[in-house]
Amino acid sequence: MSEFLLTQVINFGAPLLGILVFIGGLGVPLPCTALVIAAGAFARQGILPWYTTALISIVSVVIGDSLSYSIGYYFSDRVLLRFSGTPRWIQAEQSFQKYGFLSIFFSRFLVTAIALPVNLLSGTTRFPFKQFFLYDILGEVVWIFGYGGLGYLFGSEWELVNEFLSNFGGLVLGLIILGFSIRQVIKWQENIKQKKVEA
Amino acid sequence: MSAQTGPGQRTLVIGFIIVGILFTAFFGMRVFHAFRKFDGHRPPPPGKVETDVELIRDWMTIPFISRMYQIPPEVFFEALNISPQKEHEKSLEDLNDEYFPGQNGYVLKLVKDTILVHQPRTPDSAPTAVSPLTAPAP
Repeated sequence: MSEFLLTQVINFGAPLLGILVFIGGLGVPLPCTALVIAAGAFARQGILPWYTTALISIVSVVIGDSLSYSIGYYFSDRVLLRFSGTPRWIQAEQSFQKYGFLSIFFSRFLVTAIALPVNLLSGTTRFPFKQFFLYDILGEVVWIFGYGGLGYLFGSEWELVNEFLSNFGGLVLGLIILGFSIRQVIKWQENIKQKKVEA
Repeated sequence: MSAQTGPGQRTLVIGFIIVGILFTAFFGMRVFHAFRKFDGHRPPPPGKVETDVELIRDWMTIPFISRMYQIPPEVFFEALNISPQKEHEKSLEDLNDEYFPGQNGYVLKLVKDTILVHQPRTPDSAPTAVSPLTAPAP
């Protein structure tokens, strides 16, 4: 799949890359990070113009992200019917309103696997769109210029960069899952202690 | 764990801990290996013409390789005995499948050998013992 897409990006350039990152922003699992790093390398080799490629990619991916936010916003009736008003939902909503900007920013480039759930959750929890848009743009700029820039820097050796960064994203995701689970266990233990003290 | 937490929730969290450990271990190993491969590689200086043919991949097209190694595309098409007019957008793999079915990796090898023969020698490039190759008529 990614090899076919790389060939097509060589042939059709920035417009195709824009379409692919847009589709990626909507949640279709495409190797977008690899494509962005490769596009940086192609820019160095003179295959793609870096400024138009970067601009088209940022605009496309932000539109894709905004659309998936709006899906969460407008099509969340079932979720809201089931959970809205429950203590857990209120807690989740409050914590997302408080820390959601971090999830939005870092899921754009560091843990891209959770970008779609974060977009949907942002819409469902009514996270302010202006703030979503701001952190989305900031994160995508880091993604395109940071990752694409590394591809540009390493040129034809971009695959080494891709191998490292894609695995690093997986490692961070593993640590996040582990961290949240352990935090939950600690919370439960604190509850037990508190109950014992109260008793 | 407290009485408030149901067995389902406990199982879920234990499942997440296991998934987290597996993810961390798996990707941690891969990051370590990738870092070891990456370590020691410095960005090439700007304007450097690529000489390492081991960087050629099956998904690349002839015009792309031509630009990367600064060799005219006609040289490759001539070596492959393929008309340059219609096959600019095909990858090496597609060219191989279409013109040399049954000879896996033939186009890739021929392209590498063509580069080694035609690329101007630089003082730091390794000497090669490759004779000019031409593909049999497809």
